[in-house]
Amino acid sequence: MQTKPSTFHFLLFIISGLLLVTLSLVWWNSSRHPAPIPLTPTLSGETEYCITCHADLPEISASHPVETFGCVSCHGGERLALNADLAHSAMRGGANPSDLSVVETSCGGSNCHSGSEADDRHHIQRVTTSVQSTYAGAISNILFTFGAQPDLTARFGIAAVTDENTKTGITSLQAFDPVSANHPSIQKFGEECLTCHLHAEPREGEAFARETGCAACHSTETHTLTTAISYTQCNACHNRGNYDLRTMTFIERTDHATTRLQDYYQPIAQFTQCEYTLDCVDCHTRSEVMGDGDIHNDQASIEYVQCKTCHGTLDELPRTKKLTDPNDIAFTLAFLNPVVELKLGDTILVTEKGEPLWNTRVLPDGTYEMIGKATKQYFTFNPVMGSACEQKPDEQESHYCHECHAVEK
Amino acid sequence: MTQISRRDFLKLTRNGILYLSGLLATGGLLRFLSYAPTAEQKTEFDLGSADQYPLGSRTSIPEIPALLIHAESGFTALSLTCTHLGCTLEPNETGFACPCHNSAFDSDGNVTHGPAVKPLQVLRIEITDDRNIKVFTA
Repeated sequence: MQTKPSTFHFLLFIISGLLLVTLSLVWWNSSRHPAPIPLTPTLSGETEYCITCHADLPEISASHPVETFGCVSCHGGERLALNADLAHSAMRGGANPSDLSVVETSCGGSNCHSGSEADDRHHIQRVTTSVQSTYAGAISNILFTFGAQPDLTARFGIAAVTDENTKTGITSLQAFDPVSANHPSIQKFGEECLTCHLHAEPREGEAFARETGCAACHSTETHTLTTAISYTQCNACHNRGNYDLRTMTFIERTDHATTRLQDYYQPIAQFTQCEYTLDCVDCHTRSEVMGDGDIHNDQASIEYVQCKTCHGTLDELPRTKKLTDPNDIAFTLAFLNPVVELKLGDTILVTEKGEPLWNTRVLPDGTYEMIGKATKQYFTFNPVMGSACEQKPDEQESHYCHECHAVEK
Repeated sequence: MTQISRRDFLKLTRNGILYLSGLLATGGLLRFLSYAPTAEQKTEFDLGSADQYPLGSRTSIPEIPALLIHAESGFTALSLTCTHLGCTLEPNETGFACPCHNSAFDSDGNVTHGPAVKPLQVLRIEITDDRNIKVFTA
């Protein structure tokens, strides 16, 4: 059957019109997108268009310059898309690529944060096995209290973790599943008390998006990573309120503290001047906070720094170390947070486990100096030895110090 | 004034739309075929006359980034991209330091401090007949 010439011309007219309309729509749609601004980071060598819209973001840190890392190597996403929904569709961890569910892809790699223990580059393994991440102590306490396990040994974490090279004897934790628990308080604990730890599902809302993974501690401002972590960052979780163990609920604090001392909320805790003047990271070490690579039973088994770590005891001066090795980890830590210029030959304090308190130094008169990691303030302090301290020599733990030196709120 | 018939007007309109859409479609096709989403990385750098770089000079070429060294043995171009993760190195008294992760290299490009483990890359150089220096990064 042959198409009549008039029908053919009519069809041609309609098809041409439709083509014209379609092409006009495509042109109009593409003209709505901004002209792409390309960036080819040296690390990936692959062009990405993210800064077309995100050029206003601050450099995330001196260690992660955008010219080197770009955006996609950490965040994922469709690197060449100019449509916001498409560009963000393949992002890892939403606003938080350091969420522990995706951290290995975002921050891992042997040259980055999942290298070997020998290179002290096993950051992700340390964090995922840390108590801040597993919440193992609280979980075992609740299970023991409500008769679900016979002792306080950690068996469960927020997520399952393993440590084949354990030094603590704990080789693995199973993922805690409160739904299957047969006690309502354990179930309530699961509902109410598991959202604050590094491996937890973040609470809903933009405000909570960076409260898991590395960002929970290291992202103190929008799009910033730092090791100069202020106490306010720690307080965002650790001073947010209290648990009511009768109802197994978390009670958010409602007061409005006007002083740093009042800001410490825990009603039964005692504080010395150091504890409400310095930042938490000035004394507490990397292994205490980020973990040491081993699975620990609870917070008490990893936290060890005490007053005597810096002040010594009546019988002993605090431990010190002369920096003679240019590859000493103290130099790397001081490089990442340059509040002090460490030099070979400097003498710094070290903890009982040998961790460097790299922001301290021994002064010629035998006193000590600490530089605030977040504040850059200088503090001088004295050893207990030779002081008027009347405490018994065998009672030098922090809680004994608090008996005389705690400040009343 | 010449009168145009209804039939001719419709024919003219139809052909106009046809040609226009054909033109736009061809343009779109050409644009599609020539679209290069990845900006081409420059791999060849003309550093100008070799006479600009006297014997014993060590000249930083930020554009690459590299250091052009003119020694008795001839010209050498040392990449100033850190072999750890690719940050641009900064010169210091002993050689070069990485501002990102504290790797350090001596003045010959050998690693003196990690985390980098590989020495700096020596880039290929060509000196043309008219004594122009060309450096190649790939």
